[in-house]
Amino acid sequence: MVPTEHHGDQWEPYVDNGGSTLAIAGEDFVVIGSDTRSSDGYNINTRYDPKAFKFTNNTVLATTGYRADCKSMAKSVQAQITKYAHDHGKEMSVEAMAQMLSIMMYQKRFFSYYVFPIVAGIDKEGKGAVYSYDPVGNMERVGFRAFGSSSALLQPFIDDQLGFKNRADIKPEERELHLPDLQQAKNIITDVFNGAAERDIYTGDGLQLFTITKEGGIELEELPLKRD
Amino acid sequence: MSITQYNGSAIVAMTGKNCVVIGCDKRLGQQALTVDMNFEKVFRVKDKLYVGLPGLATDVQTLHDRIRYRVNMYDLEEERAIQPDNLAHMISNMLYQKRFGPYFCEPIIAGLTEKDEPYIMGMDLIGCLSSAPDFIVGGTASDNLYGMCEALWEPDLGPDDLFRSASQALLNAVDRDAMSGWGAVVHVITPEKTETYHLQGRQD
Amino acid sequence: MVPANRRGFHFDNCKRNELLESKGSITAKFTKTGTTIVGLIYKDGVILGADTRATEGPIVADKNCEKLHRLTENMYCAGAGTAADTEYTTNMIASKLELHRLNTNRQPRVVTAASMLSQHLFQYQGHIGANLILGGYDINGPQLISVMPHGSTDKLPYMTLGSGMLAAMAVFETKWKPNMERDDAIALVTEAVSAGIFNDLGSGSNVDVVVITKDRTDYLRNHSKPNQRVPKQTSYKYPPGSVSVIRKEVRYHSNANQSPAAVVPEVVMSES
Repeated sequence: MVPTEHHGDQWEPYVDNGGSTLAIAGEDFVVIGSDTRSSDGYNINTRYDPKAFKFTNNTVLATTGYRADCKSMAKSVQAQITKYAHDHGKEMSVEAMAQMLSIMMYQKRFFSYYVFPIVAGIDKEGKGAVYSYDPVGNMERVGFRAFGSSSALLQPFIDDQLGFKNRADIKPEERELHLPDLQQAKNIITDVFNGAAERDIYTGDGLQLFTITKEGGIELEELPLKRD
Repeated sequence: MSITQYNGSAIVAMTGKNCVVIGCDKRLGQQALTVDMNFEKVFRVKDKLYVGLPGLATDVQTLHDRIRYRVNMYDLEEERAIQPDNLAHMISNMLYQKRFGPYFCEPIIAGLTEKDEPYIMGMDLIGCLSSAPDFIVGGTASDNLYGMCEALWEPDLGPDDLFRSASQALLNAVDRDAMSGWGAVVHVITPEKTETYHLQGRQD
Repeated sequence: MVPANRRGFHFDNCKRNELLESKGSITAKFTKTGTTIVGLIYKDGVILGADTRATEGPIVADKNCEKLHRLTENMYCAGAGTAADTEYTTNMIASKLELHRLNTNRQPRVVTAASMLSQHLFQYQGHIGANLILGGYDINGPQLISVMPHGSTDKLPYMTLGSGMLAAMAVFETKWKPNMERDDAIALVTEAVSAGIFNDLGSGSNVDVVVITKDRTDYLRNHSKPNQRVPKQTSYKYPPGSVSVIRKEVRYHSNANQSPAAVVPEVVMSES
């Protein structure tokens, strides 16, 4: 944990405010889970500071890292999306938004935002899409991704449950048959976040579950997590 | 990098209904370079008592030698089989004696007690004991193992279910850790027998 | 080989560890009890309280550890700091006090324990990272003494220690008063520890309480459990054949009525 203070001669511009995000892309849906705790060292700054936000009727951006950078970046993205809608008379697609975010982040290559974003939405073919980034804008479209202070706790489990890694009983070509439906995906996120809240001191307080479907648009559920 | 991460390791112990499992990965590295693909870190102490030693490999071997010496002396002096809690305190004492010049190893003990009840115990590198009703993890993949075990573990698993849960926890945890992997060994300890499984894992 | 029965601390690894340190940084991660521990004096005695979380960096290493250590029947000690140090220091003082009790045939006094602790910690110049709150009842009545890692002591009617000490002290400073009733005092201790559990990330899980009075000591393990895990939505059992096994060995235990053949290797490619 690095304080934003003068540390000897060296000024440190970044703080890690903890928290975790997890996104799962399904055949025709996306689910994004994120906790609502924001902390600094052993202190809780606030128990309710959502990490995920709706950007269009089709996309959600979830970000962990330094909260100030997360919010500043989200504001810039929102401004561009609004401008795009006015200029073109239509909403930005997930693909376009994902590419734009990558460019916006790389533009700050030498004083980057300290952020770990995930963009989720439904793509032009109606399929669930999850894009993950490193802090300088390296983008990758993935099936599922965990970021933040609990990423080491969350990622191996979704590798197992959704990637079917090390599963001798499921052949690679049969994996699609075993993929979870929307409700199962939500259950997996809820369970693994409860586990992370047990063990990671920076993850807790509340869980936000965003669900995006083509028909239903974006839905938000809020569930409690451990507060200790 | 911490010296406990120099060689890489992953160990997990889990309790079930009248059984315990303890498993480890097989990698030995020098930082990013893999040196040995068959370096086991879980050792048999007695029929129903195993100890896992994650950490710096030189200390893993030294500690294993010293534990074996102390357990043999216990056998001769006490003329009875050492129990899991005795072993835990014995190792804890060995580690705390070196409080100001420690072994870089965080032992994990798994076994069945005299009454065949499952027993697991972990400790840090200076011998602070920590018990748990469910599972103990250690090594460079410990964070990954915590996530896996918190999600997978449930009470009263039988030996077969417990073996599969622990194996999947271990394999998927080491696949997200660069310092451990190259297959795994899992010991399933029941009152009658101990089954040792050598697992296929990613070779990278 | 070093004799196994050599007493005291061993320093034979120090030179080697220094060498390792010079080649690369050693960041030894001891288990710390991030901790909220509290103590107060009330009408009939003294109460100690503690949370039950032990951390290793940002990860919870033990969800239900014990931070209230028994010294004698009439004395308990709450410990914060390096977990192994609080455990071993209090254990050692406990056995010394028991021998002292048997030698003198008197109930050990709180000041005796405080002196022993402070002299031991002073000898090690702060390198033993034990922050302690000692509470007990003897012929001088209820007493509460804190001992810091360098060996300094403090005597106060109410105190808090550990990373959650400010959260807990906020509660004490608002609500503590002299000569409280037993139930009110237990509730106040629980509230103070809970403030640490919820507002300090280094503290968590349950509240342990010990109440020491003239005639009896009540150790209330997990007096309050405000952080129970919610049940899982799904069971994640795996079907048979889900783990690929290269080789399987079976070792029958000697005390069971099985074949004494020590190891029966069996080659299977996937689990049956």
